[in-house]
Amino acid sequence: MNPVVRWFHQLGSPPYFDRFAQRWTPWAYGLAVLVMAYGLYGALFMVPADYQQGDSFRILYIHVPSAWMSMAIFALMAIYAAIALVWRIKLCEILAMACAPIGAAFTLVTLVTGSIWGKPMWGTWWDWDPRLTTELILLFLYLGVIGLYNAIDDRRAAARAAGLLAIVGVALLPVIHYSVTWWNSLHQGQTISLFGKSHMDPSMLPPLFAMIVATKLWFIGSLLARARADNLRREAGKDWVRKLAGAMQ
Amino acid sequence: MSYQNYVVAAYAVFAIVLAWDFVAPRLQIRRELRAARLRVARDNSRNGSTELTR
Repeated sequence: MNPVVRWFHQLGSPPYFDRFAQRWTPWAYGLAVLVMAYGLYGALFMVPADYQQGDSFRILYIHVPSAWMSMAIFALMAIYAAIALVWRIKLCEILAMACAPIGAAFTLVTLVTGSIWGKPMWGTWWDWDPRLTTELILLFLYLGVIGLYNAIDDRRAAARAAGLLAIVGVALLPVIHYSVTWWNSLHQGQTISLFGKSHMDPSMLPPLFAMIVATKLWFIGSLLARARADNLRREAGKDWVRKLAGAMQ
Repeated sequence: MSYQNYVVAAYAVFAIVLAWDFVAPRLQIRRELRAARLRVARDNSRNGSTELTR
C-alpha cells in the first residue's frame, strides 16, 4: 500500500492519532511562538509608524492575521464536516468540531481589535458596516456550532448536526470577503495581497507575513490539542485510554 | 508611541485569547485522563471486593 495512504488510514485509529497529536503539538506551538516573537517584535519596534494613522496601525499585525484565520478555519471546518458526513470518518468529525472554538477565538480577536482600532480612527467602537456585521454573524455561527455539538449527548449525532450547520454557514465566507466591494463600506478595501501587489510599503510587510505564518502554526498546535482532548473524551473507557491514564499516573 | 493605550489593549486581548486557547485543551485532556484513572481505580476496587461473592 502507498505509504501516504497507509499513514492516512493509521491516523484514523484513535490511539495512533493520540500519539501523533501528543508528539506534534509541542512542535507546532513552539514554532508558532518563535515566529510570533519575530512578528510581534517587528510589528511593535521595527516598522515605522504610519504617516496618517500613527502607531494605531500596529494593531493591523494581529487584526489581519486573525481575520484571515477566522475565515480559513471556518472553511476547513466545513471541509472536515463534509468529509465526515459523506465517508463517516470519525477523526474528521473530531477535527471539524475542534476547529470551532479556535475559529471563534480568532473571530473574537478580529472583532475586538478592529473595534479598538476603530475608536481612534473612525471615532466609534462599532458600526453596523457590512464587513463588521458579517464577521459578527461568523462569530455567532461558530458559537452555534459549538452549542449544537455540546447540546446533543450522542457525540456522533452531535458532530453530524453541528457539521451540517458548518457546511451551510460556509456560504457566509464570500459575503464577508466581498462585503467591502459589494457595498459602500466604512471598512477599507483590500490592501494586502499574497500574490498580487499590496498597497502597503514593503518595509511593513515582513512582520505581517510572519504573523500570518505564526497564527497558522498556532492553529495546528491548538487543533491537535483540542482534537486529542475530544478523542480521549469519546474513547473514555477503552483499554488504550485506561492504559494511557495508568501510565501517566 | 501615539495611541499607546489602544495598541496595548489590542495586543493584550490577543495575548489573553491565545493564552485561553492554549490552556483550555490542556485542562480538558487532564480532566479526561483523571476520569479514566478514577474509572480504573473504581473497577479495580469493585473486582477486588468480596461483597457480591459472599
